[in-house]
Formats: sequence, C-alpha cells, structure tokens
Amino acid sequence: MINELTPVQQDRLNEQKTRYTNKGFWLQLIFIACLILVPIVIPSFRVVDMVAKIMIMIVLVASYDLILGYTGILSFAHHMFWGIGAYSVALLFYHSTNPSAYLLIAAIIIAVALSFVLSLLLTMFSLRVQAIFFALLSLAVAEFALILSEQWTSLTMGEDGVNFPLPDLLSSASASGRMVTYYLILVISLFLFFLLMRFVQSPLGKVLRAIKDNEKRATAMGYKTLRYKIVPIVVGSCIAAISGILFALWLRFVDPKTVFSSGVMIFVLLMVIIGGLGTMWGSICGVVIIYLAQTWLPDLLKVGASLLPPHPIITGLAERWMLYFGIMFILIMLFFPRGVVGTIQKYLHEKKVAQLKK
Amino acid sequence: MSSQTILSQENIRKNYGWLIVIGLCLLPLLKMKFDTYMTLTIAGLAFGMFIFLTAVGLSVIFGLMDVLNMAHGAFFAFGGYASYTVISKLGGFGWVDTGTTGQSWASFGLGILAAVVIGIILGFILERVIIKKVYGDHLKQILITMGSAYVLVEIIKIIWGPNDEQVLVPAAFDGSWIFGDVIITKYRVVAIAVGVLVLIIAQLILKKTKIGIIVRAGVENKEVVQAIGYNINKIFTGVFLVGAALAAIGGAMFSFNKLQVYPGMGDEQFIFAIIVVVIGGMGSIAGSFIGALMVGLAYNYVSFMVPPLALGIDIIIMAVILLIKPKGLLGQQ
Repeated sequence: MINELTPVQQDRLNEQKTRYTNKGFWLQLIFIACLILVPIVIPSFRVVDMVAKIMIMIVLVASYDLILGYTGILSFAHHMFWGIGAYSVALLFYHSTNPSAYLLIAAIIIAVALSFVLSLLLTMFSLRVQAIFFALLSLAVAEFALILSEQWTSLTMGEDGVNFPLPDLLSSASASGRMVTYYLILVISLFLFFLLMRFVQSPLGKVLRAIKDNEKRATAMGYKTLRYKIVPIVVGSCIAAISGILFALWLRFVDPKTVFSSGVMIFVLLMVIIGGLGTMWGSICGVVIIYLAQTWLPDLLKVGASLLPPHPIITGLAERWMLYFGIMFILIMLFFPRGVVGTIQKYLHEKKVAQLKK
Repeated sequence: MSSQTILSQENIRKNYGWLIVIGLCLLPLLKMKFDTYMTLTIAGLAFGMFIFLTAVGLSVIFGLMDVLNMAHGAFFAFGGYASYTVISKLGGFGWVDTGTTGQSWASFGLGILAAVVIGIILGFILERVIIKKVYGDHLKQILITMGSAYVLVEIIKIIWGPNDEQVLVPAAFDGSWIFGDVIITKYRVVAIAVGVLVLIIAQLILKKTKIGIIVRAGVENKEVVQAIGYNINKIFTGVFLVGAALAAIGGAMFSFNKLQVYPGMGDEQFIFAIIVVVIGGMGSIAGSFIGALMVGLAYNYVSFMVPPLALGIDIIIMAVILLIKPKGLLGQQ
C-alpha cells in the first residue's frame, strides 16, 4: 500500500515526534520559568513593573500583528479596543459600591462583546468597499473614542481619568496584591499569546496567509476572502480588549491620554514593524527592544545634551525623545521592512536553500 | 447623444450632493432660533472651507497616484505655525492688530505666503525623499507617511514648543457685522470667500488647461496617460506640492479663526479631511467641496446641541455614504 498520509498529516506527525526534542520548546519553557521567577528573585518594583507591562504589550502587539501581519489590513483603532477594555474594568469597579472579583469576569464579557460588535461593524462598513477604507474609518472612530472619553464626563470622569478601587485580592489592601495581579497577568497573557500562536498555525491561519500572499489566487481557489479577513480583525480586537483589562488592573488608573491617544497606536505600529510583520515571535522582540530603548533613551539624550551648549532647540531635541522613535520608524520601513525576526528568518531560509543546493 | 446622457447623469449625481447639503442646512431650524442658526451656519461654512483646503489635496493626490498621504495634516499645522511666526513678527512692528487696512491686508497676505512657502518646501522633501521610494505599495505608504506626520509634529513641538500659541488677527478682519439679531464674524466671510475662490480656480485649471486635462486623465487611468508620453511622476509631484500648499493655506486661515495654533491642530484636521474625502469620492474636487460643507455644517450644528457627539455625526454621515455610495458622492463609479 502506498503512503496515504497527506502533506498536512505528515507535517503534524513530524511535529509530534520532535515536540520535546525541539530547541524552541525548551526555550519557551525557560522563558516562562523566568517570567514566573521575576517577582520572587528581583524584589525591585521597577523591574517587575516593566516586565508586567511588557507582557501586556506583547499581547496587544501580537494581536495587532494578527490583523496587520496576517491579513495586510491596516487598523488605526487597535488602541481603541485596548482602551475599551481598560475603561470597562475601571468604570465597573469605580461605579460599584463593593468591588468583587466577579466584576472582573463581567468586565471581560462587556469589553469583549463591545469590541466584537464594534470591530464587526467597522469591517462590515469598510472592507466590502476597499481595504484602505478600513484604515480611514478606524482612524476616525478611534479619534471619536478619544473625544468621547474626554468629554462624556458623567461616565468617564473626563481628562482626570478614573482612579478605581480593586477587589481586596488584587489591591494594595492585601500585602500580596501586586504579586497576585502579576501572576494573573502572566497566566492570561500566556494563554492569549499561545491562543494567537495556535490561531495562526490553524488551517484558518494558513488560508489567511494564502490570501495575504495573493488574494486573487485565494479567491480562485474558492475561498470567500472577505469573510476570512473579518475573523482575524474581530479576534485581534477582542484580544486587545482583554489586554487592556490587564493593563488597567496593573496601573490601577485609566485616563484618556494613556489608552486612547494616537501615540499608543504609533508605539504599537513601531513594535510590530521592528519585530517583523507576520511573525508572532517578532512581537516579543519588538516590545522588548522598544521598552528597553524607552527606558534608556531619555537619559542618554540628556547626557548628550549636557555636552552641547545650552540652546532651546538642543534641549528640545533632547527632551522630545519620541522624535527619534518616529525617525527610527521611517528608517526601518525604508531599509529594513522585514523587522528583526523577519530578517533572521530570511537569513536562515537562505542558508537552508544554499545548503540544499550543495 | 451618448455624451449628452453622460452629462445629464453627471448632473443628477452633482445635484444629489447639493440636495443633501441644503437639506442638512435646513434640518436644525426645527430645533433652534433663527439667529443662533445663522451664526452656526456661517461658522459651519467657514469650518467647511478649512477642511476643504486640506481635503482637496488629499483627494486629488489619492485619485492620481493612489498615495494616501497621512502627513497631510502636518502640512496644515506647519502652515498655521509659519503664518503665526510671520504675523507675530509683523505684530511687533504694529502692523497687525493696530495697523491701517492696507497693513492688515499685507500682513494677512504675508502670513498666507509664508504658509505656502513652507507647504511647498515640506511637500517637496516628503515627496522626493520618502514617498517616491514606496510608490505602489499602499501599506508602506500609509505607514511611512504616518511616521513622517509624527516626526513633523514632534519637530513643531521642538521649534515652537508643545503649548498653544496666541495668534493676532489683522485689524481689518477683526470684529463682526450685526444684522438685527444675527451676528456675522467678518473673518468667517473672508474664509468662505477664499474657499469658494480656490474651488473655482481649481475647477478652471482642471477643466480649461492642458495640465488640468492631463491630471484628470491621470485620475481616470494613469497607465494610458503614461503610455501617451506624459511623465506622470512629474505631474504627480506638482499636484502633491499644490496639495501641500493648499493644506498649509488652510492651516494659516484656520489659525486666524481659532486665534491660536497648537501642535495637534493638523491631526484633528486630518480626521475631518479623511471623512470628507470618503464622502466626496477620491479624486473629485467638487466632491471634496460638497463633503467639506456637509461635515463642517453637521459638526457645528451638533456641537451646539450635544458637544461630545459632534465628530460622531460626521462619522455617521461617512458610514451612511459608504453604505449607499461606496465610491463617494462624486467618485469614479
């Protein structure tokens, strides 16, 4: 009898055989172990704070990569979904007299439902016309969300932001409040990240990749490409909302500037591009690079400025460190469009091809 | 015969847009007093003109070359700041708020001129250095111009500081006319006149001159224009510069209306410009005009009644137009 396995089954069999001998698997385990150990080994709040924020951002950036990297559709409203999550948990806790942990589940449901409906509406209105309209419509809607959060003061407290009480388990009332929050963030972020990994490796993810490579070909093969494109947008937006909930829990404070301003979107874009579009691991890379740069760059610039004669323009150049991220963004787009992980993958691929040729 | 029917169809399409504008104009009368209504309408029309000046370049640039220039709002902000710099210098000589009529017209003209110059310089740099490298790749264009917009706004913050700056108004444009209960701000009338003037000049250039015909043909089908032997890239650079200059003029004019300049002004305006371009149709100047009027009027009426929802009404109009006419009111069908 001839071999009846299809290529997909063959792939899966191979994967199952090498699952535990694979280097990547052990690397992932070590990575997770490090994350678990961080708050125990390093008691400094600054480090724990950064690691927690990095984990939250990784989920946000990875979910954005699902939209941009796997469908090629540009959304400028991703930070809006993030903000919806953050605000839903903040407002629920703020307006409830007795904050209990059940409200957290309610917040997740509300945030996911809102994001689901909104992202579905956005796609319904724009994608059927032209992919570019999604960028335009989402930009306008995100701006509207910023204005609403600033001006609908009876609900959102306006620009002052929401300073909300947390359930005892997570709040500073109990000594281990931060620790519990940290591990909650760790567990949920890990779950969401592996969910995203699973999503892009699923048959659906493969169809998406085919659509991105050549939409006409995918249509010719009988896939209804429009429907397939809607799925990652909706899933990505909902995951962003959950990431926003985690962010609000960690910060214990939400205001329009930190979640709804377009600067957040620029940061997410920068992280996705640096890491590499269409590579989930790239999002980890991008977030870590940008966070490290963000911690060191302002100090570095101040040192640089102190060497030069004092002039308003020079101090301005030193203070507005965001400028350099913008310039970096343009340069990367021009000369390095695959990002870090994408470039490494390309290099490995070329090496493999060269070896096979020999 | 066939051209006749096309013409009449086009007429119907045009009237359709105007009917919506007029209908929208009259709707708020049900709820408010006549004098408030008039003030709001004039303010809305003037606001529409600022948006039109930004949107027209964006629309033609997209129509001609498929380039969505996200940095268009930055031209608007730079225009405002350039004119602010010139006006505050002239204010030091006493030309602006205390000068004669001639001096205030001259300072107004010089402010606009400064905006035009900086718009052209910035447009040239952006087009030649950055956008040229990513022709034909939508995603990269949007991302790169978005990054450029961000850098440009940061540069504004470095040069002029991150805070609002007060803008002087030339004496001849200050104050208002009063007819009975209706108060009409002088400057808004000037703004409306400039907007209409730009529309008429742009339409004349597009309809009557050779360059205009090439541009219109390019919007319709750029490959054919290239095949005939025109260098579409050069024409595109020209259109891009004109668009940037118009946005800068819009910014300068807006600064006199708002009485201040601030780094975020371009980003806010860009949102409206996008809505207008979607409503009016990519590549259509008349469409941008109609769209700008709709957006400006609706925004002003609603911001009087329910302030937080003002931008929402524009988004709703955009969504409805996307549903009924996906290519915009006057877009290429």
